[in-house]
Amino acid sequence: MEYLALLLFVMVFLFLMLGFPVALTLAGASLSFALIAAMLGVFDMSFLQNVPSRIFGLMNNTTLMAVPLFVFMGIMLEQSKIAEQLLETMDQLMRGFRGGLGISVILVGALLAASTGIVGATVVTMGLIALPTMLKQGYCPKLATGTICASGTLGQIIPPSIVLILLGDVLSSAYQQAQLNQGIFSPETLAVGDLFIGALFPAMLLVVLYMLYVYAMAIFKPESAPKSFNFAQKISWVRLLSSLIPPLALIGLVLGSILAGFATPTEAASLGAIGALILAFIKNRLSLKVLQSVMQNSLKVTSMIFLIFIGAIFFSLTFRGLGGDELIHELLSDLPGGVFSAVLIVMVLMFVLGFFLDFIEITYVIVPVVAPVLLMMGVDPIWLGIMIAINLQTAFLTPPFGFALFYLKGVAPEIKTTDLYKGVVPYIAIQIFVLIVLAIYPNLATWLPSIIYSN
Amino acid sequence: MNNYIDLLNGFVLKQDKLQQYFGKIIAWGLLSLVVISALIVVSRYGFDAGSIALQEVALYNHAAVFMLGFAYTLQQNEHVRIDVFYGQMTISRQAWIDLFGSLFFALPVIIFIAWSSWDYVALSWKIHESSAEAGGLAYVYLLKTVILIMTFLLGLQSVSLLITSALKIKEYK
Repeated sequence: MEYLALLLFVMVFLFLMLGFPVALTLAGASLSFALIAAMLGVFDMSFLQNVPSRIFGLMNNTTLMAVPLFVFMGIMLEQSKIAEQLLETMDQLMRGFRGGLGISVILVGALLAASTGIVGATVVTMGLIALPTMLKQGYCPKLATGTICASGTLGQIIPPSIVLILLGDVLSSAYQQAQLNQGIFSPETLAVGDLFIGALFPAMLLVVLYMLYVYAMAIFKPESAPKSFNFAQKISWVRLLSSLIPPLALIGLVLGSILAGFATPTEAASLGAIGALILAFIKNRLSLKVLQSVMQNSLKVTSMIFLIFIGAIFFSLTFRGLGGDELIHELLSDLPGGVFSAVLIVMVLMFVLGFFLDFIEITYVIVPVVAPVLLMMGVDPIWLGIMIAINLQTAFLTPPFGFALFYLKGVAPEIKTTDLYKGVVPYIAIQIFVLIVLAIYPNLATWLPSIIYSN
Repeated sequence: MNNYIDLLNGFVLKQDKLQQYFGKIIAWGLLSLVVISALIVVSRYGFDAGSIALQEVALYNHAAVFMLGFAYTLQQNEHVRIDVFYGQMTISRQAWIDLFGSLFFALPVIIFIAWSSWDYVALSWKIHESSAEAGGLAYVYLLKTVILIMTFLLGLQSVSLLITSALKIKEYK
């Protein structure tokens, strides 16, 4: 009977492929499965009685309040063209430096992606702003598209990212559950801030490796990444500072207040959101039209994310009612090779699912099921969270199904698909390299949090 | 027969316009959320004065915004889809999927949420449930009612999607 849970999983997955909105499919397919199973007498409908209180719990979750605030901040920076200006200035700053524009794209991508954290939004923005400039300057399309896709997905791992907030939310309850199951009744907690801090070094490692790759290309294959054109007019320091400092200060403020322990991610998010609003106002970019567009787009992104949570409530209650939790537990704990193979299998599964599902679905459907089991085996929750985040980020880059590729192709249809695919391969290699390094040296993720919290 | 179609078309047009109108109003809630939550941080760290009530105002604001935004987002077709296959389909295939989805996924779920939440919300009204925190707001029953309003708006939009898809199938067959 437990295998019904697997059947549910497969069925939901197949229905998702139809293309009806994910959230409603997730909820609807689970509900129909539950109803049919209840009629056959193998499911107890009382499991679904918890739906109203779970929805109300979602409405009362203060951690998740950071989501609309960060989304607002990101969209405000994008629509008020502050992002665009940042990229232009960076490019001018790097003028004459080999691979300068490519490196600017990575840096700006890293900074801005951090705030929206939605792969699509970032890749689309970068594709619209950066791709034409890169091609105009003679970058080879492979390198240009690969760099944009990869930098667009950086937002998943660089704090304050929405992926890490959601993962933190899910992993903290998984961690509690794992400890309670082991009979620890005063469990340790995991906060979203822990994941932010843990992600810092691995994320920096990724960014540095990306930049080294672009630099190496510029040195060894100069025709693929030429120097920027030398324009006659020089950029004034005033302009440089005025476009560079404010957004950097804003992101520094948000990250710094979390790292220094002054603010929770939600509080930092509200500082970031109001900061972006003030910034747009000072720069004279805040018309009523821009404000309305920012609000409406933020509303749509936020509601899209939260409806998936409701879909996931239906799925997880049905899955649990069918005994899915025990099934996964048995499957993962009876593996030869113990913890290592359990983590490996989960990582491979998520990587493959990452081709089809967005990170929100994976975080709220897969992670709650597998994480408690892994955590009970003694896996470190921070390390696990960072591994999952980098893993998903890689999945979104991988042809033929990577989301980042679709989005870029969507805004730049003139790009050849083969160039796009070839362009991301080196970046996928970098991602996998970092995953392996992180697997061998978990300290990379766990050291900084342990230092900060020992004080 | 044409009368029916005109009637349905009219409903879809009016309904969608209404949702867009609501959506634009609800979107202002994001601005107030940003302002209120910034006020909370400033008052906590600047003046060392935390207010549970103000925090709950922000939370109510946040919850109401995303719950009431579901229908608008559906109307704008911004709920994420897996479009590996959907994106390649003809308009009439896509319309069949939307018809199937709104009939067998969206509407049953919405009806289930409304039905199962009714008593949950009614109980809260009966006892005039207020915050469990000292100094919190006394309007938990209003917040819970948002669940029912959400199902109403989202249900209306799903019916509209159902009719739109059926009309498209007829038109493109």
